[in-house]
Amino acid sequence: MKLKILYFGMISEITDCNEELIAVPDQCKVAQLEIFLKDTYINLQGLSFNIVVDKQISTSDMLLTSANEIALLPPFSGG
Amino acid sequence: MNKRKTVFVEGSISPAFIANSIEKHQTKTSIGAHDIFLGQVRADQIHGKIVQAIEYSAYTEMAENKFHEIRETTFQKFDLTCMHIYHSMGIVKAGEICLFVFVSSPHRKEAFKALEFLVEEIKKEVPIFGKEIFEDETHVWKVNS
Repeated sequence: MKLKILYFGMISEITDCNEELIAVPDQCKVAQLEIFLKDTYINLQGLSFNIVVDKQISTSDMLLTSANEIALLPPFSGG
Repeated sequence: MNKRKTVFVEGSISPAFIANSIEKHQTKTSIGAHDIFLGQVRADQIHGKIVQAIEYSAYTEMAENKFHEIRETTFQKFDLTCMHIYHSMGIVKAGEICLFVFVSSPHRKEAFKALEFLVEEIKKEVPIFGKEIFEDETHVWKVNS
């Protein structure tokens, strides 16, 4: 299946895009997606970020579907 | 009850906008205390270079949801008459205002407490990202402490 991933702030510089569709196996969980992304983008390793699913902070065992909107958020710096 | 309000404004927040916002409250005579927080872009020195501006971006939809949740929570926790939050998007130069938080209450103590709570929640919970830009057009990403 394909997942739509949004990238923000310093993460969008590492991925060199603001969003993309990536192919993952069915039944993919947040933890697997994180490993896949860190393998694809080496510079994500050692960086602090949150994976947000449908605008909510996710847990690592959450099952993903192609209907989800997934976002990688670096540390916040508003204000 | 509290309809969704627009928080993001393009560029800096002008002193005239802030003055106008204060003036609009003169008809609300149950208010006895206003408290205002203004966030200003600092010309920090980082590795020998001075910050000229911050360029803000956000996960807009999630940020608006978070602002709404924070507003609702603050209204529940404190006795406020009204509350206004404005945050910049895009470029804000050093010395300019990027965050304007305005609370009004019948009495001062609620206004003081509510304002501190609000500003801390905004910094912690809202997905906004600041890129600190130097004179030579290089940049670093700001992280809230």
